[in-house]
Amino acid sequence: MKIRFWGVRGSYPVPGPTTNRYGGNTSCVEVRPKNGPHIIIDAGTGLRRLGKELMQRDAFGEGRGSSHVLISHTHWDHIQGLPFFAPLYQSGNQLFVYARQRDDTHLRAVFATQSEDPYFPVPFNATKADVAFRELVEGARFSLGPVQVSCTRLNHPWIAMAYRLDCDGASVVYATDTAPFTDILLENEFIKTPPRLGDPNPEHAAKLHAMRDGLVDLCRGADLVIYDSQFTAEEYRQRPHWGHSTPDDAIAICNAAGAKNLVLFHYSPERSDDAQDVIVDEVRKKVEGTGLGIIAAQEQLELTVGDD
Amino acid sequence: MEVTFWGVRGSIPAPGPETNRYGGNTSCISVRTGAGRLVIVDMGTGAVNLGRSLMNTEFGAGQGEASLLLSHTHWDHIQGFPFFSPIFVPGNHFNVYGAARSSSMLEGILEGQMNPHFSPIYTLKNLGASISILAVPVDDGKLRDLSSATRRRAPFILDGLLVRALPNPHGPTTSLAYRLQEDDRSLVYASDAGYPAEGPTEAMLSLYQDADILIHDCTYSPEDRAQRLSRGFSSYLEAVDAAVRARVKHLVMFHYDQDYADDFVDELQARCRAELDARGGKDIKLTAAAEGLTLPV
Repeated sequence: MKIRFWGVRGSYPVPGPTTNRYGGNTSCVEVRPKNGPHIIIDAGTGLRRLGKELMQRDAFGEGRGSSHVLISHTHWDHIQGLPFFAPLYQSGNQLFVYARQRDDTHLRAVFATQSEDPYFPVPFNATKADVAFRELVEGARFSLGPVQVSCTRLNHPWIAMAYRLDCDGASVVYATDTAPFTDILLENEFIKTPPRLGDPNPEHAAKLHAMRDGLVDLCRGADLVIYDSQFTAEEYRQRPHWGHSTPDDAIAICNAAGAKNLVLFHYSPERSDDAQDVIVDEVRKKVEGTGLGIIAAQEQLELTVGDD
Repeated sequence: MEVTFWGVRGSIPAPGPETNRYGGNTSCISVRTGAGRLVIVDMGTGAVNLGRSLMNTEFGAGQGEASLLLSHTHWDHIQGFPFFSPIFVPGNHFNVYGAARSSSMLEGILEGQMNPHFSPIYTLKNLGASISILAVPVDDGKLRDLSSATRRRAPFILDGLLVRALPNPHGPTTSLAYRLQEDDRSLVYASDAGYPAEGPTEAMLSLYQDADILIHDCTYSPEDRAQRLSRGFSSYLEAVDAAVRARVKHLVMFHYDQDYADDFVDELQARCRAELDARGGKDIKLTAAAEGLTLPV
């Protein structure tokens, strides 16, 4: 299968010459299995360009396109591209949107809010494609044709989901956004001031431990693990309650899971290309000789794993 | 006063090398008055860089105060708000003005942006700065002092500026155009203007009249506008028509479509200049807004 990156940035899009190489669009990854349906993971601003290309490339321009859209969570930087996804406005196209079930609001209502007056001129129910929403519960497993999808929750405000896709004799994990599992349990409660690091109460520590186990299981032996790499160590110390990781956290999970390659992803919007180069070099040096491959995601990078 | 452009793009931020020169951030300008007060118009992603620059001023120390005027609340005009650093600094104060039938409705709209499904901020109450949110209903022509008025209607005096506001049609909704006047100098901001075939109303032309600078919606080429009339945007033809009829001194093109590369904006600017000259606007100065540009008014 082929994996192509359309948006690699976290928090908000960052246009400008200092982000041209890695790219300034927010999170969006395309997965094209050799023998399976088209899959998109997250719908940040990168989705807009993907949509334009799909209208040229596949059946989408003729209203015969179909795609499965897996959403990690509905924070703006993971959904803000959807209203600008051209295939949505072509009748006949089909979109299946998957995200975690919420207690209070149906998934369709969450997405409809983004497109309603007075935020956006075209309401979601006026789009022409058929859009179906599928709510996922913890640990859900399902098939998209020959693609096996599994998921587990992450440590992020309002809770994000990590996904694993198994297909074509290969496996890819997408794990963003998440804080490490050592300090603060991030769920539905708003945390204004972070507590002391490294000292969660026993109940939270147990939940974090279980969450980490779930993620390590999900990443077990994966060919690619695309992982939240937003922070430097110093940035994490200042903002541990924002729900993001450092490359060191990503390496630890990959090593525990025996994953083959780590893909650094979801870069801080404040990181210039040059500063990111330095971080990528440091990460490569750290894992030298351990067998873990390091790939730095950037817009338009395409990776092939398994059968092609 | 002077005006600085922080985001000049419409609809959605457009990162990439092809937008490096004019910039890919969505709409945001700042106005520094002669008396030193700060007024910000619209809070697209350009507001992120504005906020960062303000952190080196009194806003970094929690002693800043500014007014934010919103033309309307489509995402590209508010999406920078949760990432505008000074709103997290206790002690800063912001007065937010925008179009809504009531102040509580405007507050509800901005509150919706911070909802935990969408934002880790959860609610406006978690912002460090204090914020007053006030609706600007339609201009009824009677001047009031905001400090004493209980219902805020334009025109009003704000930070030493005389502010007028009138709604332009904008697809299914409206977008407020603002005129900011300090002594004998005036700046007009008219983004997202989707006029009917006959162009702006007489009332709107009087709001633009003789402006030293008219920042005007130039989202589309005339060809693209013709294909997308229902979206409620202008091309340079509508901007030129407004500028010539209102006898403004300086027209600034603004709010470019997200798909327009820098070279195409260059071309639109040249075509706009030719149109101005052909329409009797040879003496009207023309600028295509770009991120980082500052113009004296």
